[in-house]
Amino acid sequence: MTPFVFATARYQSGDWDSAPLVPANLIDSIARYTSIDVLPSGVIVPLDSVTLFEYPLMYLTGHLPVRFTNAERANVQKFLDRGGMLFVDDHNHDTAGVFHRTATEEITKTAGKLVDLPNTHELYSTFFKFPDGPPTTSHELNGWGDNLVHKNLQAVMRGNRIEVLYSSKDYSSEWGYHPDTKRFQAIDNTKFGVNIIVYALTR
Amino acid sequence: MLRVAALACLAWTLWRALQPAGRGGAAAVDQSDLPAALAYWSMASAPSAVHARLEGVPSALERDWLAGLRRAGTAVTWEHSGTAPLVAHAIAVEPALDPKGGARVIVAAPPGARVVLRDALGPLDSTASSHGGAVFLSPASARAFGASVGTTVARAPIPDSLIVRHALVLGGAGWEAKYIVRSLEEEGWTVDVHYAVAPTHDVLGGPPATIDTAHYAIVIAVDSVAARSAAAINTFVRAGGGLILDGAAARSFPALAAGGAGTRIAGPAELHIVPDSAPRSVLGLVPVTQVASDGIVLERRGDDVAIAARRVGNGRVLQVGYDDTWRWRMMGGDSGIVVHRAWWARLVGAVAYAPAVAHAVSDRADPAPLVATYERLGPPTVSADIGGRLNAGPLLPAWAFALIVLALLAEWASRRLRGTR
Repeated sequence: MTPFVFATARYQSGDWDSAPLVPANLIDSIARYTSIDVLPSGVIVPLDSVTLFEYPLMYLTGHLPVRFTNAERANVQKFLDRGGMLFVDDHNHDTAGVFHRTATEEITKTAGKLVDLPNTHELYSTFFKFPDGPPTTSHELNGWGDNLVHKNLQAVMRGNRIEVLYSSKDYSSEWGYHPDTKRFQAIDNTKFGVNIIVYALTR
Repeated sequence: MLRVAALACLAWTLWRALQPAGRGGAAAVDQSDLPAALAYWSMASAPSAVHARLEGVPSALERDWLAGLRRAGTAVTWEHSGTAPLVAHAIAVEPALDPKGGARVIVAAPPGARVVLRDALGPLDSTASSHGGAVFLSPASARAFGASVGTTVARAPIPDSLIVRHALVLGGAGWEAKYIVRSLEEEGWTVDVHYAVAPTHDVLGGPPATIDTAHYAIVIAVDSVAARSAAAINTFVRAGGGLILDGAAARSFPALAAGGAGTRIAGPAELHIVPDSAPRSVLGLVPVTQVASDGIVLERRGDDVAIAARRVGNGRVLQVGYDDTWRWRMMGGDSGIVVHRAWWARLVGAVAYAPAVAHAVSDRADPAPLVATYERLGPPTVSADIGGRLNAGPLLPAWAFALIVLALLAEWASRRLRGTR
């Protein structure tokens, strides 16, 4: 049985590599809290590549406009049709920024309409419990950016399963630090990332 | 006078009908005349011997009727008079172990024969017989099926229906367990699942239930996590439950497995696409080693045993050496997702426990027409020496009927025209 591999999507537009520390941090959390067999380093996967299908959970982030090429869009559609899950996080933390506008448009075009994910969804209880829904980030709370707390994540659903999970909360900034730094934190803020991975592996 | 003649004819006919059927001479009859002849012999005197010249296999009604004549004392023989040879074929129907229903129709027929599957509304499918027959998986919810070879139709109803319980998947959180669950759900199965995520944390799908045949049809052990329930699974299998041991999971169930689990053979390192033509040739494989004496090898890959099965108590165990079959679904060709889930559904359907519920069968069954003809009427008689011809006729002969009608008409006319003179 092959171990879980954390995969970051590389797309031709924008800055796909804006959160290079997130993979290592989440891999550390998976190894720390679960018994899931996980590869110690992540991989970077071009969205228009056949290797996309080797990694059924794909993390995509950035600050800049997102425009999929036709090949990327077709590949992502096939990836989702076969049961893959795409986690998209806006690295800007806003609601009208260029990433948000273009990424949500591209998701709608590729996968379907994004809807608010109820804060009672099993994503918030599948491993760690988040009774109030998605945990807030420091960027939401410190007034930086648009001083906005996003109450929900959004998702494209297929049946009762999340096909595309979209976050405006900027977890890419929140989780973008070296895992060794966790020892200085009272609460590990990557726990919600564990939930996303466990959800993807079990639903 | 005319009225008297008509009444006399009717009286004669009545007397003729009431006469006990006496034994006539021998009669030979062609298949086209057989229905009328059988009807006549049942109402009038039956001959002492009947020889049927059959161009094809008689219908069940004709066959049973001839057998009835034989039991009533008439010597019945038959011969094949057609140009096309009589073809023996047979049909068996069993409910498919599929949550969506349907049936598995097995037809035995000579190699190369064209077999047409049909239901009451018409043809459903056809194929050429090979290796002694053909197997159809029909999703149709027909109550009975027929299989025709040439002009002969063998018919059989579905004798019972199956109770399909849930499937249970046990494994660590990972792509293999996830996509097994998803494939089976897409095929209509209700799947409960226990994923081990951490030493003290499981993710459950479906209500927790005891592992027994009252709740589950099959348990799929994806990895060693299932060993936590080894005792319950052992009891479950011996009571009739099905078990699939995926990849290295067999190591955790040595008493149930069809063999040992060898060293894993990885798929090609640079594999990015699973070919539609031979998808399982590139999957990782934990070969089945030292197949148990009562085990059966179902599939090999090269020299390695890939799938083996075994009966344990009342249950069946399938040891599947392939692991990471999820790659087939994700990385396969255009048909990868469909073929992958159909393959898993077949594996599950092969060993799952499904108690049958018999139901009343109202349809007429004729599962092996030619065999039944031999059984009821004996083998054909070559160049039968039957002297007489068929002496069958209607109960009321045409001349008698015409005489009665003419007499009555003339009598009526004489009354009507009596005053015109």
